[in-house]
Amino acid sequence: MSADLPLDELAALDEEAFRLHVREWIEGNYPLPVRHPTRRLHWHENKPWYMALSRKGWLAPGWPRDHGGMGLDATRQLIMLEEMERFGAARVNDMGLVMLGPMLIRYASEEQKRRFLPRILSGEDIWCQGYSEPNAGSDLAALRLDAADHGDHWILNGQKTWITLANDANWIFVLARTNKTGKKQEGISFLLLPMDSPGVSVRPIVNLDLHDEFCEVFFDNVRVPKDMVVGDVDKGWGYAKALLGFERIAIGSPKLSSNGLARLKQLAVSVGKDQDPAFLDSYARFSMELADLKALYEAYVERLKRGEAIGPDVSILKIVQTELFQRITDAMLEIAGGHAGLLEPMEDGLHPAGSFLLARPSTIFGGSSEILRNILARNVLDLPA
Amino acid sequence: MSETAFEDRVQSLRMIRDSAAAVMPADGGLGRVRALRFTLPGIDPAVWGSMGSMGWIGLRLPEEAGGIGLGMAEACALQEELGRALVPEPLVPGALSARLLAAAGDTALLPSLLAGENLVLTAWQQSADSLEAPGDPEAPRLFIPMAAAAGTVLLPVREGNGLALYAVEGTRATILKTQDGGHVGSLAPSLAGARRVAADVSAAMDLALDEAALGTAAYLLGLMERCFEMTLDYLRARQQFGKALGSFQALQHRAADLKIQIVLTRASVEGAAADLNAGAAGDARRALVSRAKARAAEAALRVTREAVQLHGAIGYTDEYDIGLFLRKAMVTANAFGSAALHRARYMRCAPGGQSV
Repeated sequence: MSADLPLDELAALDEEAFRLHVREWIEGNYPLPVRHPTRRLHWHENKPWYMALSRKGWLAPGWPRDHGGMGLDATRQLIMLEEMERFGAARVNDMGLVMLGPMLIRYASEEQKRRFLPRILSGEDIWCQGYSEPNAGSDLAALRLDAADHGDHWILNGQKTWITLANDANWIFVLARTNKTGKKQEGISFLLLPMDSPGVSVRPIVNLDLHDEFCEVFFDNVRVPKDMVVGDVDKGWGYAKALLGFERIAIGSPKLSSNGLARLKQLAVSVGKDQDPAFLDSYARFSMELADLKALYEAYVERLKRGEAIGPDVSILKIVQTELFQRITDAMLEIAGGHAGLLEPMEDGLHPAGSFLLARPSTIFGGSSEILRNILARNVLDLPA
Repeated sequence: MSETAFEDRVQSLRMIRDSAAAVMPADGGLGRVRALRFTLPGIDPAVWGSMGSMGWIGLRLPEEAGGIGLGMAEACALQEELGRALVPEPLVPGALSARLLAAAGDTALLPSLLAGENLVLTAWQQSADSLEAPGDPEAPRLFIPMAAAAGTVLLPVREGNGLALYAVEGTRATILKTQDGGHVGSLAPSLAGARRVAADVSAAMDLALDEAALGTAAYLLGLMERCFEMTLDYLRARQQFGKALGSFQALQHRAADLKIQIVLTRASVEGAAADLNAGAAGDARRALVSRAKARAAEAALRVTREAVQLHGAIGYTDEYDIGLFLRKAMVTANAFGSAALHRARYMRCAPGGQSV
């Protein structure tokens, strides 16, 4: 187990020493039986890891120190993320940490920050994110969850969907329609409410992976007090959009494809195709594309390090990463023969079918590949509407 | 890298890019390039002279060898600018010869080559798709770019364990025209009247071929960037069905895909150049160069052929400039090794075939 360095000393380590320190601590302290899980773990499964990070003070690398975070620069945040992925640490229920926390720190009242931030870090509150609706997916600003003004509170009616791990959460943050006049982006507010509010119901959705990772949440005359709005009423869309940047780079990290390629190689050996010329040619292409993705990723990280603004072109990273990952898992399926159709992992732990299904939603969530290409065409290439 | 070092590098790259304007018309016009097409010798000796006087031919050579001692990042930035303008003067092959002559300690040919007064080309290639110079004494030498413009040809010849270098004045090459309006030459390796310049240039040859391949990748990067910009301009301006072509989502997504290819090529080429500057050698260098060249060759052909498609019928006319980029890419994509050759070489050289 690595030494317990105070934050000041930890942040002062050079990048390589910092990386090794993080790596060592993860290796010595990861409490779960499963690494490289092929599905999101539920709170009852990943809680020991969440709490270990909580006790260590490492849950929120990007939050400022005075709010209980580590206050790390972007480079060191990415290093922590890379080391977690490298080790295969399970992702925790991190919506409060990754999405809500930064939002509250930037836009919430002092009272809201004091009330909610510590409870995220202690694991008392597990949040889920209610953005998408049945008729507002890629066109998110078309959302219709109705928040009717009743003086000192709103009454919510409507539905959210594709809510990751809502069945684990005790709080939810939602984008709701507080104003139906004007542009669709301008009448949206960012509201907070407990999941046990009267009128809230949850229905898990079993996905292609046969896992209940996503849920629908229904709101039937749910009362939300007015002090549960973050920032100004009707301005929630702008807040939600402002939190991109770092997340966009993180989602383009080459580690997922890198791990995938390593597993593809193991699989090829396992099924005796590792000297097959057709396999070797596609493997060469994947290797080189992965190295190019890594070079591009590093170029963005360099820009982030120098404090440069990251523009909409960063979505190229997500497109390349997710589509490469998918093609790598496509190749797994192709070479796996009969194993491709199996429901459970192979004897050596490889699971081509699981990897293949795991890769499917990556080009849909967080901006589908098609939406991201629209954004590239309009905002980067300046093509007309 | 420190803040200052970063600023210095940015400044150095900006200067070299600005200097490229010396051989290009300010409006980016391709009239000179068109006028030289399918002519012999196919280059403008005055432009070659300018390249010499600006130090480009010896850009990578140390000052004591008559060069200006700049790095691979600068060499690639310059090649990118030349690619944007489809410049036909063979700077990559000329710089390759300069590196061999400098390694040989030659003082007879190098100064006039570096000054741009003479064009010295190296007849290293023995097969259609190659990045190696075996130096077989009997093997015909093929695909010497712009051979008719050369005053002197260098001939690498295997002698024992060494790769000797001979200089032959004048050219007796057989000329084949190429799609871009240039030509390639081939010749039989006769040593009659040849001067032996060095006993062994094999190490310099390895390095020179890698640098030439990476420089070619950078030239292709510039070529595809400019071709893509012209295509975007066309998509914004051309109206059909009462609106701009570029407003159609099917075309927008194709354009986005081409942008992705260009961005990946830039990351690959600039990353390789930076790593070579930082001292990458041997197999690490070969893997970096092969990755960049394979990506650039594939991306350049994809961008240029889709540019023709996105232009529609006008793109298929010789009069419209977009076709010049496709035809140049057809010639340059396989120069110093095709994408397939470089993929195979990458897998041999990269650690575990995978460097991530």
